[in-house]
Amino acid sequence: MARLIALGAFGDLLPLQTGDVTCTEVMRETLFCVAPYRGQHKAVSAALKAQLGLSLPAAGRRKIAGDAICQWIGHDAWVVSAPVMLDGLAAVSDQSDGYAALDVAGAGVEAVLARLIPLDLRSTTFKVNHTARSLLGHVPVSITRTGAQAFEVMVMRSMAASLVHDLQVAMSGLARRGSA
Amino acid sequence: MGYSGFQIIKEGLFGQKGWKPLWRDPAPKARYDAIIIGGGGHGLATAYYLAREHGLTNIAVLEKGHIGGGNIGRNTTIVRANYFLPGNQEFYSHSLKLWEGMEQDLNYNVMHSQRGLINLFHSDGQRDAFVRRGNAMINQGDDAILLDREGVRSHLPYLDFDNGRFPIYGGLYHPRGGTARHDAVAWGYARGADQRGVDLIQNCEVTGIDIENGVVTGVQTTRGAIRARKVGIVTAGRSGQVAAMAGMRLPIESHVLQAFVTEGLKPVIDHVVSFGMGHFYISQSDKGGLVFGGDLDFYASYAARGNLPMAEHVMEAAMTLMPMIGKARVLRSWGGIMDMTPDGSPIIDTTPTKGLFIDCGWCYGGFKAVPASGFAFAHLMATGQPHATAAKFRLDRFRTGVGLMDEEGTGSQHNLH
Amino acid sequence: MRINCPHCGERDRREFYYMGDAVAVTRPAPDAGPDAWDDYLHNRDNPAGDTRDLWYHEAGCGAWIVVARNTLTHAVHGATLAQKAAS
Repeated sequence: MARLIALGAFGDLLPLQTGDVTCTEVMRETLFCVAPYRGQHKAVSAALKAQLGLSLPAAGRRKIAGDAICQWIGHDAWVVSAPVMLDGLAAVSDQSDGYAALDVAGAGVEAVLARLIPLDLRSTTFKVNHTARSLLGHVPVSITRTGAQAFEVMVMRSMAASLVHDLQVAMSGLARRGSA
Repeated sequence: MGYSGFQIIKEGLFGQKGWKPLWRDPAPKARYDAIIIGGGGHGLATAYYLAREHGLTNIAVLEKGHIGGGNIGRNTTIVRANYFLPGNQEFYSHSLKLWEGMEQDLNYNVMHSQRGLINLFHSDGQRDAFVRRGNAMINQGDDAILLDREGVRSHLPYLDFDNGRFPIYGGLYHPRGGTARHDAVAWGYARGADQRGVDLIQNCEVTGIDIENGVVTGVQTTRGAIRARKVGIVTAGRSGQVAAMAGMRLPIESHVLQAFVTEGLKPVIDHVVSFGMGHFYISQSDKGGLVFGGDLDFYASYAARGNLPMAEHVMEAAMTLMPMIGKARVLRSWGGIMDMTPDGSPIIDTTPTKGLFIDCGWCYGGFKAVPASGFAFAHLMATGQPHATAAKFRLDRFRTGVGLMDEEGTGSQHNLH
Repeated sequence: MRINCPHCGERDRREFYYMGDAVAVTRPAPDAGPDAWDDYLHNRDNPAGDTRDLWYHEAGCGAWIVVARNTLTHAVHGATLAQKAAS
């Protein structure tokens, strides 16, 4: 089978740097949504453990093993970064081209996100591999802390340009103030 | 007490000391021919027309608070007859005619001002819909004029005609639409009813409805039991609670609709204007405040106040349509309690209990309906037959599916209107 | 008004879509007859006070939840997944 060239969702919009915050695209060639059938949660978790080395994380959490991730993405739904076989256990749909993700990182990242997302994202409450669904401006997002000063933001692909626009406005606004 | 120019001059000269209260404060009698539960606009109008049209004067209006303290004092005072569907059309057309004769009829200044109402449209499709509505209004015998962009500009030069998302294509102009002083409407009807012998009993909460063998016999109140063979429930905003006293569950959810007023300004907006692409409508009160509102908060509530997301939405729509409003300062905001029916239209009907009648479900259109609702409900209570203008406001239309009046075309289901 | 989502914690009202009284978790049987269905579809207790209604966490986790709430004060007492409330 021909190997296709992966194109990013953000085109020329990324990378972006303003002040001490940078945005870079997170390229994921494959992404699958896993929605366990009723009563199959434990079986799905065990199957994923065997296939990816990752069991299902709790609501609001993400797990990583090597290159593979398994991330809670909503009510009874997770995304995994590699193909999985869960026949009879879960609805699995290929959403590789459905989502766009970016990393936003730097010393001022919490201050930038505080302007856009109505959640307490400070590291004391929102720790590494904590993830949440909410609004960034008016855009529905999945946001995950990936480091002390780094977050990953995932949106539906059609919202990629709006996401960058909102981040850019917040980043430049904050940079012009000189400090958070 | 009548009003005359001579009397106003005399009172002006002698310190305004000769005015008397507009209505008596009677104690409830043990028995009346008919009882109206609810001393709001609709209840007072019902009592007035029962007395004037049907000669029924041994009646009482029972109000748990004070006259004019409910939704009649919490609306945005707009009066119009621009409905589209049969049922609503003839009713609101009749209502507007009653408004036009109200001040002479009541000998009371309700400050009814037919300043004209303009509903703006912002796309070709919306123009088509308004042309259709305008034709329906003209067929009903009311007035409607289609304005193009320049026509709107000649009336409302202060709007943002070239907004990037919602440019103004034109408007449907309803010259007989306008506003009235909401409190004065309650006072005028109260005075008129009182003069004809109706007992207006305030601070008298109904706590039970007495029914024997399927026939109403009276009510229990905080001021004692009162007998009557006819009882009318006119308590929009609390219809469910009162109907429950008669064992009824109504097709109603109560929602909150917010309204706002700015500090007083010099005359700037001399029409009623509504935005076609966002939830925003506005007029200027005679005191100078810009009175505006939007859509429901969209959750069941009796709190008479709303939440900030809808306030923000209304302000955004206001700024989109008329950026100049950004200079005005909001003085206060409040909420009215809306009896929301599944199809967005009201109910004036008999009930399974003989002698018990109900007038409810006014959604967000109760103020303009005050005279026609009172007129039709009085007719129903006096004759047992629905008045021709309100014959379609049936309680059973949701069960049967016949005669639904879904003005917004969103479907007959709760939470869509 | 802030609502406690069982998955996401306390969130602003604007993340939620409202679906009215939580009658949908006690739906009549398909053959229950027209009166039961009319009552289910149209008639409401519509309480002035404590109520249970259905909300959808549209801009969050996407769960339907049953919220215990007061219609006079707007106080939110708690919420459970509609999935659990229905089963």
